[in-house]
Amino acid sequence: MKPVSALSGILGGFVAWSLFAGALARPLPLAAGAAVGLWLSLGHTHESVSRTEQLARTSAFFDVHPALKVWGSCALLLLCLFAATPWPPLVLFAVMSALICERGRRWHDYRAALTVPALFLAAGVLALLWEYSSVPEGTAMIPFFGGWLVLRPAAQCTARLVMARALGALGCLYFIRFTTPVSELLHVLRAARIPETVIDLAVLMYRYIFLLLETHAAMRDAAASRLGFGSFRRDLRTTGILYGNLLAHSFRRAQASFDAMESRCAGGKLLFLTREKPLRAVHLAGFGVLLVGMTAALVCGG
Amino acid sequence: MREILRFEDVSYSYEEGRAALARLTVSVGEGERVAVLGENGAGKSTFFLLANGVLVPQTGCVYFESNPIGNKTESLNTLRRGVGLVFQDPDVQIFGGTVEEEISFGPMNLNIPLSEVRVRVDEAVNSFALEEYRQRVPHSLSGGEKKRITLADALAMQPRVLLLDEPASSLDPANAKLLEDNLAMLAARGIALVVATHDVDFAWRWAQRVLIFRKGKLEADGAPENIFADAALLHRCGLEQPLLFRVAEILKLPAVPRTAEELEQEWNA
Repeated sequence: MKPVSALSGILGGFVAWSLFAGALARPLPLAAGAAVGLWLSLGHTHESVSRTEQLARTSAFFDVHPALKVWGSCALLLLCLFAATPWPPLVLFAVMSALICERGRRWHDYRAALTVPALFLAAGVLALLWEYSSVPEGTAMIPFFGGWLVLRPAAQCTARLVMARALGALGCLYFIRFTTPVSELLHVLRAARIPETVIDLAVLMYRYIFLLLETHAAMRDAAASRLGFGSFRRDLRTTGILYGNLLAHSFRRAQASFDAMESRCAGGKLLFLTREKPLRAVHLAGFGVLLVGMTAALVCGG
Repeated sequence: MREILRFEDVSYSYEEGRAALARLTVSVGEGERVAVLGENGAGKSTFFLLANGVLVPQTGCVYFESNPIGNKTESLNTLRRGVGLVFQDPDVQIFGGTVEEEISFGPMNLNIPLSEVRVRVDEAVNSFALEEYRQRVPHSLSGGEKKRITLADALAMQPRVLLLDEPASSLDPANAKLLEDNLAMLAARGIALVVATHDVDFAWRWAQRVLIFRKGKLEADGAPENIFADAALLHRCGLEQPLLFRVAEILKLPAVPRTAEELEQEWNA
């Protein structure tokens, strides 16, 4: 196991335990911590553009009208933010995850893609959970520079709600990501009259972030093939050299890609031929059920 | 032969004091098949970028169909419409999410009706037998398939001249053969083809005309039989004679055959 994965697992496990310590029967917070820790320690992948696009294009929801997917998911995401208890967003997260995973077919890709945002979430929630106090109090406490880091039930409630809302929102965003290719997403944004500059910037950033990752992977493999990561010291040295060269190399590649776009008369707009997809009643009904269910859960005290 | 593209006294340097291309005067005629040879760094790629309007000459002028190309976007786009460029590395060129999107990228930039874009994409897809890949993600395809996509990209722009930067590099023999078939198909449509290559055998059997670049200058421009017969010129430019020249010399043939088939016929005769 890589050190980064181990640290991620420890952080995630600790946050999961902190969320439920004192609120659930004694073995359950530990079990939650262990499960989340194990999941995060499995590691993550930086997907390539082609993989992300491939997943979207082979999704069972690929034929759904892209505007319905995007705006339907955004509406659900907004509803998540109004939740007063963690349950409605958590249920939404579960539903969206089930839709994305398609009976487990895409579980591996989904899990790997979810790891990085989950880690950010865990780091953020950690700051909400643990507070500094001069006296020992709360569900749990850790001595810290003459005082105490304490875990109060009120902070746990807030953190659970924040976590649930964030997971619900993440589920909605990942539904878009796993079912809608970038070109269709652009089409929807253009139809919504989002300024072209914003859209084009988003595309270029999306394209070049992955270009950077692809370049990094190629350079890392080249270094590894020459035993660049043989020991801790060599590991550090190789990593330093690698990152030093990465920017220059990526810049050259990005410039070549830009030349290739210019050679085909790209005039600031990134336009592609997209296929029209009909808005089907069954798809509308599906999103309608989700929206009505979520609204009802919120109205009924959720 | 009607002249389509003309460079007149064109110079370009990437950095002060070192000309990537110096005082180049050359033209390409309608339907011509031109091979561009030269060592790495000789100026071939700069020539292509200038010919397509990605780079603008620092001195001199590029003419397309006798019209001078300035440095305004409209003027450069006229050149880019008429002169297609296929980059050496397909991964640099390919941008779209699917093969269809990728091919449509150029025509979509031409402000033509969508129906016309569809016709062009269909034609390019059919010309390069890409129908089964149409909805596939291009980055996941093989090198040969990617090369066909980049050719289709260029064809969809309906160019008068097509520049190909080392198109056969990194292709296996079967895909290299397929590429030559594709080039023959493009030539049959009357598109002038300008191919930068290190493969002198390919240049000998395919080209009607050979340009040799050396240190940013046009060292030679002529018919392949004249260029490849000049051993001193080839040596000076770091090139070798095509294999069939050596074979013809050993077998004492009256003329150098262009292909293995021609050699066989001549030998049997």
